[in-house]
Amino acid sequence: MSEPFVPKILVLATEKCAYPGADAVGKAHQEYPSNVYILRVLSPVLFPEDFYFKAYAEGIDGILIAACGSDCPYHGAYDRLAARIDQLTSQMSAGGLGYERIRLTAICTVCIKAFLKEVALLSDHLQRLGPVDRKLAEELRLQSVGRLQASARFPRPEAAMQGGMR
Amino acid sequence: MSDQEKKQQEHEKDLAEFECGEPGRDEEAHVQRQIEIAKGPMETLHLKPEIAHVHDGVTPQLKVGVYICRCGGNISDVVDVEKVAETARLIPGVCVAKVHTFVCSDPGQHLISDDILQENLDRVVVASCSPFLHEQTFRGAVSRGGMNPYLYEHVNIREQASWAHKHDPAGATTKAIRMVAAAVGKLRLAQPLDKIKLPNHRRALVIGGGIAGLKAAADLAGRGIKVLLVEIADQLGGHLNERGRIYPSEHDASEFVSALVTQVRASSNIEILLSSKVSAVSGFIGNFKIVIESLRSDGSTSKMDETVGAIIMATGYRPYIPQNGEFLYKAEPCVLTLPEFIQHMQSLSGDAKQLTYCGQAIRNIGFLHCVGSRQIDGIHQPSPNGALNTYCSRTCCTTILQQALAVRKRFPHTGVFDFNQDIRTYGRGEENYYTQASRQGVVFFRYNGDEPPRVEAATGSRGKDGVLRIIVKDALTWGEELEIGVDMLVLGTGMIPGQITGLIEAMKLAVGEDGFLQEVHPKLRPVELAVNGILVAGTAQAPMNVHETLAAAGAAAAKAAAMFATEEVELNPYVAEVDLSRCSGEARCVTQCDYEGALKMVQVEVDGVMVDRAEVNAGLCVGCGACVAVCPHRAIDLNGWRIDQFEAMIEGLAAEIPHPECSSELVSIQ
Repeated sequence: MSEPFVPKILVLATEKCAYPGADAVGKAHQEYPSNVYILRVLSPVLFPEDFYFKAYAEGIDGILIAACGSDCPYHGAYDRLAARIDQLTSQMSAGGLGYERIRLTAICTVCIKAFLKEVALLSDHLQRLGPVDRKLAEELRLQSVGRLQASARFPRPEAAMQGGMR
Repeated sequence: MSDQEKKQQEHEKDLAEFECGEPGRDEEAHVQRQIEIAKGPMETLHLKPEIAHVHDGVTPQLKVGVYICRCGGNISDVVDVEKVAETARLIPGVCVAKVHTFVCSDPGQHLISDDILQENLDRVVVASCSPFLHEQTFRGAVSRGGMNPYLYEHVNIREQASWAHKHDPAGATTKAIRMVAAAVGKLRLAQPLDKIKLPNHRRALVIGGGIAGLKAAADLAGRGIKVLLVEIADQLGGHLNERGRIYPSEHDASEFVSALVTQVRASSNIEILLSSKVSAVSGFIGNFKIVIESLRSDGSTSKMDETVGAIIMATGYRPYIPQNGEFLYKAEPCVLTLPEFIQHMQSLSGDAKQLTYCGQAIRNIGFLHCVGSRQIDGIHQPSPNGALNTYCSRTCCTTILQQALAVRKRFPHTGVFDFNQDIRTYGRGEENYYTQASRQGVVFFRYNGDEPPRVEAATGSRGKDGVLRIIVKDALTWGEELEIGVDMLVLGTGMIPGQITGLIEAMKLAVGEDGFLQEVHPKLRPVELAVNGILVAGTAQAPMNVHETLAAAGAAAAKAAAMFATEEVELNPYVAEVDLSRCSGEARCVTQCDYEGALKMVQVEVDGVMVDRAEVNAGLCVGCGACVAVCPHRAIDLNGWRIDQFEAMIEGLAAEIPHPECSSELVSIQ
C-alpha cells in the first residue's frame, strides 16, 4: 500500500503582516499541518514567475502567497504582485499544472482564523490535485525563463554569459 | 584529534580548490577579492566598494554553526532537538551543531561567539523563537564573535513549529530539520553586508500637547535635544486641565498642568505649534520628513515641511460619550458623564452646603461604573464605527470613588449609591478610596456585566425620592431586583482611542484590537512602536492614569534620547543592488520603482563606449524588490533576500532528510 499523499505547502509570508500573523497562530497554540513551510519575505513582488515554477519543480506542491494586501508598506508593490500572480495562474492553468496550486491572499498580524482557513483550503485543493508533475513544472520554468530572456532588447554583457543564468 | 576536527579538516580540503585564505577571518579582503574577480573584463567601470558584493559563482568556504534552542521546554517538549542537531551536522557545510536550553541567555550567546573564534565559523544559524524576538540578539552575538552579522540566519521553530504542531512531534521535528537545511542553503549564498549609515537628525517630533507630550518634550529638552511639539487644540494640557484633582495625591490637576506648561514654554529647545496637525509623514528613523498644517488666526492654513529623527505619539484618548440615549444620557438633564460631573463639582462655590444641579437640590446621587468599557457582544451596542470596547478603562473606578467620597465629605446630606461590576482600585493608594468611601456611607450595589442596571425617568408618586429610578439586579443580595431613586446619575465613562486614523495610515502603525496603538512587545520593547524611531507615550497606547502616563512619557523620551546618541543611524542593508556584469541597460527595473531617486539609469563607460546602466541609491531604496522580478538578465537583486537564496531555501525544504546513522558524536551541552 502506498503512503498517503502529504503535499508540501510553501507560504511566502510578508515580514510586516503575514509572518507575524503566522506567529500569532503559534502563540495562540492553534494547530495546522506540519507540512506547511513559512518563508519570511519583505514583499513577494520580488519573485519572477519562473521562481514559482522552480518551487514546484523542486518538490513544493502548493504555494500560499500571504501578503499584506491594502496594508502593503511599499508603494505599488501589492498591485504589481497581484498582476503577476494573475499571469502566473493563467500560465499554470494553460500549462496543465492547475491554477489551484497557488493562492494569493492578505493575512494581517492578528489574522489567525484567516491563516488557518487559507492553509486548509489550499490543503483541500492539493489533496484533490495530487503531487506536482515535477518534469512538467521544470519545463514550464524553462519556458518562463526563456520568455523573460527573449523579451530583452539588449543581450546580457559577454562576461556574465559564461556563468549562465542563476 | 576529535571527529569534529577531522571533519573540519576534510571540509578545508574539499574547499581548498575554491578558496585560498579564510574569508570568515578577513571579510574585507574577501569582498575585495570578489570585486577584483568580478571586475576582470570590465575594469573601466568604477565600482563603489560598499555596493560591490558581486557574486562570482565561487562557493565561499563554509563553516556553519547551528544552535538549537530548547526554550526551556517550549520547543523541546515537542521538537526532538537532539535529532535536529544530529541531522543538521550531516548537512554539507555544517561543522558544529549544538543544543542549548536558552540560546538567548548570556551563556548561550557566549557559546556562539566563542565557537566563532575557536572553530573559525563563518556562518551561524540559530533555530529558536520568532525572529522578531531574537534575530537582533543573535546578530549581536555573532558580531561579538567577529563575524559579519548578515551571515547569520534565524529559524523559527517555536511559533512556527513546536507551538503550531503540538500534537505532531514527529512532523514538527522534520519541519525543524528542513527549516535548518533551508537556512544553511540561504547562508551558502550569503554575502557579508554593511549596515547603511545615514545622518541622524537630532530633533524629535512630539505629537500631542497633553501631559504625556509635555512630559516627553520636557525630558528630551532637558537632555539638550530639540523638540517640535505639535498640538491640535489651541492650548496645551489636554484633558487633564478639566479633571479636578489627581489621585492618589489629590494635587490640583490644573496647577500640575500649568507647572508643566511653564517648564515647556521656558525651554529654548522646544518649539510649540498650537492649532496644528501633522498631515504627512515619510522617511525612517533619523530622517522622518513631516508636513505640519497650522490654522492661522485669520482662518487660513499654512503648511510647513520639517525633518526630525524620532517621533513620539502622545496623541492621547477621547472620553467615551454615551450614545443613543444610553442610560438616558441627554434625554434626562440630570444624567452626566464623569468628566461633566467633575466640572460641575469644580464650579460649585467652596462654601456651598448642599449639592445642587440646575437649581435643584440633589438628595441622592448614583454612580454607574463601566459605561462604554468592558462591553459585551450582544449586550451592548457597538459604536457607529462597529467598535465594541471590551477593555477596562482602568481609571474610572478610582475616579468615581474619589468623587463619591468628595460628595460625602462636602455634602453629608446627599446619599451616594454606587453601581459596579466589581471595583478595580488597583494602584498604590487607590484602594484607600474604596475603604474611605465605604466608611463614609457610600452604598454599593453589584451587577453582573450581562445585566447592567436600567435607568427610568420617575414621574408622579414614583418620583418622590428622586427624578430617576435605577433598577439593578444586585449580586450582593443574591440577585434581588432593587429600585433606587436618585436625583442625579453620573455615568462612569471611560477612555476610547483618539481619532488618529490619518497618522496611523501615514506611519503604518500597528493598532490593537481595542483600537489603541500597539507597542512591539510589552516586556522586551515597551513604548516602542513597530516602525523604528516611533515611540508611544501615555493613553494613545491604552487607558492609563496620570502617573502611568508620566512614566510612559519619560520612558519614550529616554528611548528617543538614546536614538540620538549616535551621529548616524544604521539601517539594515536590505536594498537592491545592480550586478554591472549582467546589466545590459534594459531599464525595465526603473519602470517598476515607485520611489523617486531610488533607482535610475546612469551613463557609464564600458570598453570605451558610454552606455546606460541601472544605479541604486541605497539611502532611498526601500527594499521592496519590485525591480528584481522583471530583469531578463537577473542583473538586479535584493541584498540579504536574493532570489537565488530563496531558491536555495526551497531546495533545503524539499531535499531528502539525511539519515543520522553515519553521524559523528553529537555535541550537546546543558
